[in-house]
Amino acid sequence: MYATADMLLTSTQAHAAEQSKEPVIEVMLVRAVLEGDRDSFGRLYDLYAPLVHGILLARVPRAEVADLVQDIFLHAFKKLHTLRDSAAFGPWIAMIARNRAVDFHRRSKETVEINDDLRGSDTHDSKAREILELIRSLPEAYRETLVLRLVEGMTGPEIAARTGLTAASVRVNLHRGMKLLREQLGVMEGL
Amino acid sequence: MKDDYLWDKTGQPDPEIQKLEEILGTLRYEPRPFVLPRRRNYFPLLAIAASILLAIIAGSIWLRVRSGDEVPPQDAKLESPTPKPLEAPQPPRTGSALNPPLHASNRIHKPRSAPSVVNDEEALAAKEQLMLALRITTEKLSMVHRKTQPNQIKNQHRIG
Repeated sequence: MYATADMLLTSTQAHAAEQSKEPVIEVMLVRAVLEGDRDSFGRLYDLYAPLVHGILLARVPRAEVADLVQDIFLHAFKKLHTLRDSAAFGPWIAMIARNRAVDFHRRSKETVEINDDLRGSDTHDSKAREILELIRSLPEAYRETLVLRLVEGMTGPEIAARTGLTAASVRVNLHRGMKLLREQLGVMEGL
Repeated sequence: MKDDYLWDKTGQPDPEIQKLEEILGTLRYEPRPFVLPRRRNYFPLLAIAASILLAIIAGSIWLRVRSGDEVPPQDAKLESPTPKPLEAPQPPRTGSALNPPLHASNRIHKPRSAPSVVNDEEALAAKEQLMLALRITTEKLSMVHRKTQPNQIKNQHRIG
């Protein structure tokens, strides 16, 4: 079931070129923003908003995600000068998103979270929320990768390139996470 | 291979993963425009501050020039018509020539020069110079304003 070392190596080599393109673009965009081109930040936002959205969706209530995405990018715009390596924009903003999710839970400890089920919507959407809850119950390493793959529609190499994780780690997280999710789904259907 | 589909969406699709993608796709990120806060434009404030500063400098110079032109009327009255009594010969100074006592040095006053045509000319020249400086500053300010104005419009266009 799990990928062998050979498979991981071949896959890494095959996607090396694909992965190497994006940092070049992001380096150019980050430099342009630092030189005063605000439009370039809009392009960075377009590129990385799905990543930040996915990271948050794996951790915080869905209703809060959209506003938090905006907040995180605004914060990133203000603090962009502190980014030492322009090629590391993805891992940097992913870390900001994870920290913001932790802050969110720390601050909203005493508030009552409105259950998504109370909002009422179609069955397809409620099924999606149920599965998302199952993913959220998985270990942290798996839930983020699974959300980025299944919700945001990113491929494994894209997840690796944007989060700064190695392709091997992403692959392992995807397969193990998927196995656990299948088990959970089986349990849910059996009930 | 089924594993490849999970990894990079290639190979034989896994129906279970496809179904999950379809269901969870409803929660996918929906693009929203990202609006950056407007950059603060300090030019008007700077221009106002510079204008006030220039006005203060110009006013103070003008006042100085004007007060220099006026003849203090009491100068003429101070001179008494009675002749001063002859001073007794003073004893030789005890202090050295290089370091005279303080009270002696404090008494030394330069006689104030009377207003003359030369002073008027100097004042006029100073006034001319001041006017020229003000004109140059105004032109420079308007040039800077002209240069920044198209940028503002461009930025507004970008933001809007």
